[in-house]
Amino acid sequence: MKASIEWLSEYADINVEPKQLGDILTMTGSKVETIDEQGKDIQNVVVGKILEIKPHEDSDHLVVTQINIGTEKLQIVTGANNIHEGDIVPVAKDGAKLPGGKEIKKGKLRGVDSCGMMCSVGELGLTVEEYPGQIENGIMILDASYEKDIGKDITEVLGLKGSVIDFEITPNRPDCLSIEGLGRETAVSLDVPFKNPRKNLAEMPVENKENIEGLSVEITAPDLCYRYVARVVKNVKVGPSPEWMVKRLKACGMRSINNIVDITNYVMLELGQPMHAFDINSIEGKHITVRRAGKDEKIITLDNQERQLDDTMLVIADSNKPVAIAGVMGGQNSEIESDTTTVVFESAVFYGGSIRKTAKKVGLRTEASARYEKGLSPENAMRAANRAVELVELLGAGEAVEGKIDVYPTKQKQVKIPLEVDRINALIGTNLSKQEMITTLEKLEIRVENDEVIPPYFREDVEQLADVAEEVLRFYGYDKLASSLVNAETTLGGKNKEQKIADKVSELLVNLGLSEICTYGFISEKDLEKCNLNKEDALYSQAVRIQNPLSEDYTIMKTISVPTMMQMLANNSNYKNEEVRLFDISRTYQNNKNQVENGELPLEQNILTIGMYSQKGDFYTLKGLVEDVINSAGVARYEIQKEQTNRMYHPGRCAILKVGNDVFATLGEVHPQLAKNYDMTQRIYLAEINLDKISKYARTTKKYTPIIKFPAVERDIAMVVDEAVEVGEIEKIIQKRAKKLLEEAKLFDVYRNEKLGGNKKSVAYSLKFRVPDRTLTDDEINSTMKDILAELEKALGAELRK
Amino acid sequence: MQEQIEKIKQHALQEIASAEDAKGLDEARVKYLGKKGELTLILRGMGGISPEERPVIGSLVNQVRDELETSIKERENYFENAELEKKLLTENLDVTMPSKKIDLGSVHPITQIINDVKEIFIGMGYEIADGPEVELATYNFDKLNTPPDHPARDIQDTFYITDDIVLRSQTSPVQARVMENQKPPIKVICPGAVYRSDSVDATHSPVFHQIEGLVIDRKISMADLKGTLEMFTKKCLGEKTQIRFRPHHFPFTEPSAEADVSCFVCGGKGCRVCKGEGWIELLGCGMVHPNVLRNCGIDPKEYSGFAFGFGVERIAMAKFGIDDMRLLYENDVRFLKQF
Repeated sequence: MKASIEWLSEYADINVEPKQLGDILTMTGSKVETIDEQGKDIQNVVVGKILEIKPHEDSDHLVVTQINIGTEKLQIVTGANNIHEGDIVPVAKDGAKLPGGKEIKKGKLRGVDSCGMMCSVGELGLTVEEYPGQIENGIMILDASYEKDIGKDITEVLGLKGSVIDFEITPNRPDCLSIEGLGRETAVSLDVPFKNPRKNLAEMPVENKENIEGLSVEITAPDLCYRYVARVVKNVKVGPSPEWMVKRLKACGMRSINNIVDITNYVMLELGQPMHAFDINSIEGKHITVRRAGKDEKIITLDNQERQLDDTMLVIADSNKPVAIAGVMGGQNSEIESDTTTVVFESAVFYGGSIRKTAKKVGLRTEASARYEKGLSPENAMRAANRAVELVELLGAGEAVEGKIDVYPTKQKQVKIPLEVDRINALIGTNLSKQEMITTLEKLEIRVENDEVIPPYFREDVEQLADVAEEVLRFYGYDKLASSLVNAETTLGGKNKEQKIADKVSELLVNLGLSEICTYGFISEKDLEKCNLNKEDALYSQAVRIQNPLSEDYTIMKTISVPTMMQMLANNSNYKNEEVRLFDISRTYQNNKNQVENGELPLEQNILTIGMYSQKGDFYTLKGLVEDVINSAGVARYEIQKEQTNRMYHPGRCAILKVGNDVFATLGEVHPQLAKNYDMTQRIYLAEINLDKISKYARTTKKYTPIIKFPAVERDIAMVVDEAVEVGEIEKIIQKRAKKLLEEAKLFDVYRNEKLGGNKKSVAYSLKFRVPDRTLTDDEINSTMKDILAELEKALGAELRK
Repeated sequence: MQEQIEKIKQHALQEIASAEDAKGLDEARVKYLGKKGELTLILRGMGGISPEERPVIGSLVNQVRDELETSIKERENYFENAELEKKLLTENLDVTMPSKKIDLGSVHPITQIINDVKEIFIGMGYEIADGPEVELATYNFDKLNTPPDHPARDIQDTFYITDDIVLRSQTSPVQARVMENQKPPIKVICPGAVYRSDSVDATHSPVFHQIEGLVIDRKISMADLKGTLEMFTKKCLGEKTQIRFRPHHFPFTEPSAEADVSCFVCGGKGCRVCKGEGWIELLGCGMVHPNVLRNCGIDPKEYSGFAFGFGVERIAMAKFGIDDMRLLYENDVRFLKQF
């Protein structure tokens, strides 16, 4: 909301500079966005009188003028042809500055000295709308009455100087979307009297009538229209508005149209109540109905656009058709024309939510709808209607018709809030007396009677104690707020198990040389397809879809972390970064039980993803990282198993980790086809670890096992097995057969050669036996070794090497 | 006899002193102290000495032997030290050669800020709360005093999954969940990702991170909020950081404030980061709105509380001097490794 200091001064004596006023108002809640010091860019332009005009000897379109600017006489050459001797004009002297950074310098035009320039309206940054009678392509000719001002600065003479402050008004304060509201805030903030120049409006004795000049009004949607006031003026002379009004409108960023339309805008800016003006003759049947639009109704709005309406929208209609989209914009069919003689002023209040939705739907957010959507006070509507009529008479633009039509089905509620001084002090940490609070509230026109706070009609945002506390605090001063530390019951605080595990794992991976990345939660179906998934896959069909995605790249929430990690690896590969090791802790989202359709939330899981490509690393490097993560988290018992069906991974180089049948991690080399989809030819290693499951299986308590004092017995064992036999199978048998005697089985050699045969490999283990209570005997070990070998032979066809 | 012993001693000491290496020293030891050594032989020959002289001579021989052994030991030490000196001279390293180490990884700058903030608040007795990112509209909006027609619910700002489910546009819904599930006293912070329909550019991202704080107990005041944030900003942004409250409006707090901090880049003198203002708009805060307390089953007559929230990216960018938000999500290792 823009407000000029000039207009605000009508409400409060402003005794500080604009910048300081801005700072003060910011601290009381009307935050200043910008301060525009108007007229600052016009310098050295004065009022002058043309004494003489003579032709230029070397030009047929230039003339040479002599101009009196009070202190001296200037010779100025010009091409303008709308000037006459005796005209009063704005004159830019040598060294003058004009809007847009233009500078005027003494010079010669076709050999004749020219010591300045006469200015057009546009050259002064003004418009012909503001100065009716002026032309665009010619010098601005001032009224003869300005003769007394010859030599004076043009900005002073025309009142071009002045500051306009643009405020950010919070949505709870629609009353401050008006000069009156901002004026009130200004007065209280500066602690000067609020002059209340529009006090008369509420008290005007205007009789209620059913019918004025044949016009009647009906509301058929009282849930969307709380009040509709109509006043009528007749013998209207549509024409330009006076300069003062045009200037004030312009300062607030509005263009002058004609006196009647300008009055509606002026009242809206002044009082915060949007107005609309109809030509009474364009209202068929002279009957206004405020109703929901029909499903297929259309209207051409004032901006000459056809708008499709629907039955959620409120319209102002005559007997036949909509004449305005309520609260948004009027229709062309009832526009004020130059020959309009009888005008209906509408001052209505609608339900804000509906106006907001309608404005959105028709794609038309106007000054009016921006105010309505915040919820306006029905009480103000009457004042605005009276003000419009008052202005018509002030401007001599028409005559007021007695009486008003006032349909007011939903009376504004009067709130009363107990003034609980102690609770307010407790809430804001002050120690104010009751009287201090009452003084502040009363300045804001919030009454206090019998210890009850009664907000004025324009403060519907004040509903309960907390709101009263805020009003007290605003003018006590946010800057004076004390600071203390919470003096309450002690809380322990800290992280829970899941958070601790995530932090621990994260720290470990950083120490192991991985860099943490940060990724978006959404991807697109295409990303899943790039990861070899298709519509038949659950991870595809269970995606949570975004109704209004930002772009085609972000249409679904990620069901797996693979696509984002692959993308980040690809980014780095693209940057030619070598040795890239990344990890990411983020979520996946799965609509795994169609719960979203039933209004329930999808499954969100925390996933640790490791992704790397490296000259130094391979599958076993990755496996080591994953094992370190799992061990550090405290998961002791799990199985590792080959996985050949996951299409995202190399079929021969993928493993899953599980507890019982619950798979909690997948790791492996990325399927070369998938890597190629991301334009990568190097081997990519990837692990997905479900941190929620890790937390579930993690044991955070640790227990000491006594160190065994008895000596260990070591035996080596080497065997030849089929290539297809996994060492994991061998280890399982060793463990099973060695029972509790085995302390450690360490794989120390695997080799293949021609002698063994193409499909064979030699595997060698070093076994360490030890028990806590005694020294093991050779007999025990020998018989255990025998058991182990027998089983290896039987189950795996292992052949002992000697 | 005594003279003979004295003579042996003198010879022996001389030979020990003149031995040039361990071998020479050993020869001297054998010569005088060995089984057939000169001094040993004297002891052996004690039989021929009168019983009166025996103890005197015995004692003298032992005394000389001790002296010789000490001397030998000293000479040995000398050789060892000389040997070590020699070895050390040959083991000279160029300490400026590259080290053998595991390259450390890095923590993402956003996580670093979140970790710093967590640590500060845990120190003040806060827990870390967490909630879903795909959230019910009722938690993201309704319970937070943002009814269905409220502008904040616009489809332009919020990603919708269904009419009732959204991508959380703020971390505040976690507040509502905590209040419903926990009895006061409540002291939590909730860091996390939030989603808003903003196109990607140098200062915007459709996904960013917020940290929300909530305290509910009896007699919590706005002064407590200010004190808490003062403490936090000093610890997080530097001891000299000043904080300034300005009135503002949020649907879920009343009274509400926006808090500016003195620019932690230039110290308040005015720079590019604070746009010459000396202040940076940092967070929104206020006293939890009584409607929100009621919506979450807490009686506003008995309890009060405060809440605050701020964006993590902003702080990370200002603190680390990152000028383009996209860098945070591109995850170029050349960027990541700088942190």
